[in-house]
Amino acid sequence: MSQSLRPYLQAVRSSLTAALCLSNFASQTAERHNVPEVEARTSPEVLLTPLTVARNENERVLIEPSINSIRISIKIKQADEIEHILVHKFTRFLTQRAESFFILRRKPIKGYDISFLITNFHTEEMLKHKLVDFIIQFMEEVDKEISEMKLFLNARARFVAESFLTPFD
Amino acid sequence: MLLLDYQNVLIQSVLTERFSGAAPVSIDQTVSDFDGVTFHISTPEVKTKIQVSIQIRCFPDLLRYGAEEVLNREYGSYVVPPEPGYDFSIVVDLESLPAEQEARDELIKKVSLLKRNAMAAPFEQAYQEHYALKQEAAKFTSEEAPQGVREGGEVKAIHYREEEAIYVKASHDRVTVIFSTIFREETDRVFGKVFIQEFVDARRRAIQNAPQVLFRNDPPLELQGVPGVKDTGAGEIGYVTFVLFPRHLTPQRMPDVISHIQTFRDYFHYHIKASKAYIHSRMRRRTADFLQVLRRARPDSEEKERKTASGRTFKVGS
Repeated sequence: MSQSLRPYLQAVRSSLTAALCLSNFASQTAERHNVPEVEARTSPEVLLTPLTVARNENERVLIEPSINSIRISIKIKQADEIEHILVHKFTRFLTQRAESFFILRRKPIKGYDISFLITNFHTEEMLKHKLVDFIIQFMEEVDKEISEMKLFLNARARFVAESFLTPFD
Repeated sequence: MLLLDYQNVLIQSVLTERFSGAAPVSIDQTVSDFDGVTFHISTPEVKTKIQVSIQIRCFPDLLRYGAEEVLNREYGSYVVPPEPGYDFSIVVDLESLPAEQEARDELIKKVSLLKRNAMAAPFEQAYQEHYALKQEAAKFTSEEAPQGVREGGEVKAIHYREEEAIYVKASHDRVTVIFSTIFREETDRVFGKVFIQEFVDARRRAIQNAPQVLFRNDPPLELQGVPGVKDTGAGEIGYVTFVLFPRHLTPQRMPDVISHIQTFRDYFHYHIKASKAYIHSRMRRRTADFLQVLRRARPDSEEKERKTASGRTFKVGS
């Protein structure tokens, strides 16, 4: 792990652990149903201040807490066109499987690549520290995966080009 | 399996089976090949006479560049008038096959190279043009050569796919082959760029004697004024230029170079697709890994399996 990644992930981890303090809360506007307040945005008094943890201009995490739900959005590093395509494909792949990921939001919020929505039901059913672990591990591995795929693509391209041109030699 | 074969494997296997001395049967088979080429293998009259027909969308182009001579040279006595709906037909009579095994294999090989031979005509013509221009140019120094010699021959266009074409141009010191290729989606375009970049760099890095490869999104200068070349400006179409130098242009190397360069487009797109497929399966695996991590967050994964004293296991119903 690189030198600047560790404090970045540590900061995200601490902020997430602090923010994942959710309780059941009946909506004040929608017939006392429990709706994720961070999505509904109908009662400003139950929304907390959003927080951005940024490693640099291309990599950041936005944490938007509220009384019964929390939204985490991640911007994944995209240095060039290839990484952009790979990130796009990968996040699309994940969001299409949002059903089995429970906490994954089907659509990322604007300016980010992927968003998670954790409600009080999720924290009641699942272990909170494991959920935080999941997000952190996701952030770690996504970068690794993208750069590995890019390396693979370059290596294959080189190999393919050389084997096509060798018969001319 | 990295490089594509030049011949059509299905034709090869059908003929090998028929030539092996098995009892003649009637055949009626349609075979597809790259670039929308269709073959029809049939026995229209008797079971011993196998007819192979080819339908190729750029046949008028090929005829213009001397496909007829090339095909007649290659297939000579086997040529018959084309079957309706097809462009060119040959008939092989099982009763008058060559006696030796090698000659038979040679014939099978020749028939399965039908598409390659048809497409080879413009390239062969460009080679001949190059030889002629070279002789012509040898009479002058480079400055005072007349316009025609310096500029080289006309551009031969082969519209072998709906929106894609190969352009061949001969001049006294080189033959230029330009492929126009279209990328339907953004991913293909980006992957294509990565691959092409490696083709361009390969010469600098590893294979010094390879043809020079150039890539651009707008039509190269050689294609100025050629009908049918349009600049969309959207970057969808890419032009890949191969510059064949005199060392590739010797008569001994001609057949191999022609066969090989014909496969470029298919080879290129094949590897783009293969990379996409690999990346897709990789993402699938990674997604499964993530799911595994998330599943760990559920506390109800206590041990369900118990052991009896004798070491057998059983499950407690949940």
